[in-house]
Amino acid sequence: MILLYPTIVLLICMGLYTVLTQTNMIKIIIGISIVESSIILLLGAMAYFPGAAAPVLDHPFELVADPLPQALGLTAIVINASTTAIMLALVIKLHNRYDTLNIHEIKKLRG
Amino acid sequence: MKNISFNKLFSFSLVSLLGVLLLISFYDISNLEVTLSLSEHYINYGVEETGAINLVTAILFDYRAFDTIGEATVIFTAASIVALILPQHEASMLKTEFTPIVHQSIAFILPFFWVISIFLIAYGHLSPGGGFSGGVIISAMSILIIFTYGFHYMTRRFNVTRLSLIEDFGALLFLSIGVFGLIYGGSFLANSQAGVYLGNPGELLSGGLMPLSNLAVGAKVGTGLSIIFISLTRED
Amino acid sequence: MIDLIFGIILVMLVATAALALFSKKLLNSVVILSLFSTLMVILLIILQAPDLALAEAVIAAGIMTSFFIITINKTEEIE
Repeated sequence: MILLYPTIVLLICMGLYTVLTQTNMIKIIIGISIVESSIILLLGAMAYFPGAAAPVLDHPFELVADPLPQALGLTAIVINASTTAIMLALVIKLHNRYDTLNIHEIKKLRG
Repeated sequence: MKNISFNKLFSFSLVSLLGVLLLISFYDISNLEVTLSLSEHYINYGVEETGAINLVTAILFDYRAFDTIGEATVIFTAASIVALILPQHEASMLKTEFTPIVHQSIAFILPFFWVISIFLIAYGHLSPGGGFSGGVIISAMSILIIFTYGFHYMTRRFNVTRLSLIEDFGALLFLSIGVFGLIYGGSFLANSQAGVYLGNPGELLSGGLMPLSNLAVGAKVGTGLSIIFISLTRED
Repeated sequence: MIDLIFGIILVMLVATAALALFSKKLLNSVVILSLFSTLMVILLIILQAPDLALAEAVIAAGIMTSFFIITINKTEEIE
């Protein structure tokens, strides 16, 4: 369990590194999607206590995982899907206009 | 090529600096003695106040239903943005003609998608699931139809206007639940304060108005995401 | 036992993320991204968050892969 938070930090850094250095637009969107998935894992990890049960109280548990971060994480997953869909739509629109997926070339063409 | 390697080096050091800062803050947070008073209230009184067994759905659709309205509008705006800006463009992948075996097996599977999504939506407050995952499975069904039978078959059966009509009805149903809570005393989207019969927890009709709002969000998410996918694969 | 499985899944998670981010071909990284989401689902189940796991499974591993594949197909590039 201890290894969880360092891996979340590692995933965030890898995703951000791809967003900063990649030139292909779809690869940038994959980087953003990995950062958002690690944030959802962070929310799940913050809600967990050792020995806790799932927050479905069909019979009374003594220790239950915290339902609040899970509810916010559920909303975050759906919003992540919507934003990624908009980003992909913009990629298709840009590709139709400039016929390339490389952001450096798009900057040059626009000048 | 010099500046590209400098850019990579600079961003690598920037990102590793962020990583170190995140690690330090996570370490501090984990040592912090935080009193989860709000979650304690949800855990101890959640079942009595909302009648729902699944606390996550109780939070999403009763304690914090206002956030869920905002979140449903996020999907609505995403669907309208994608429908607005996407041109008609041929997707070569959708031209592949599948053998009748694939058509038959997909036709056999499709009703079970309905069963799963209706189950997840109806049992949202009893077992894990709820409006969101049930709605997404409905949109996964329309994606499956587009992939196997092609785009024109899909628009013949579920054209986009009918889907957006269902989405608007989902939004209206959710808002009318909110106004219903307002009329019967209590605040906007009030479920138990408005004197709704909560039923004993654990049964199907136990969450007061929660199954209804589950249905509304399920319809909205399902049609919204399938509109997104239909406009992504628009051809003619 | 569960910690051992947890450690293995964490290592595989970081490995799939690295493969998805730094692989040359676009289609490979999209497929590995859905593998990454499946591992995420297993982790969320171990962390006693069934709602998150179900939503992540249906959304990230399910329809997000089809969104990516449709965009890659529509922006078909002959490099």
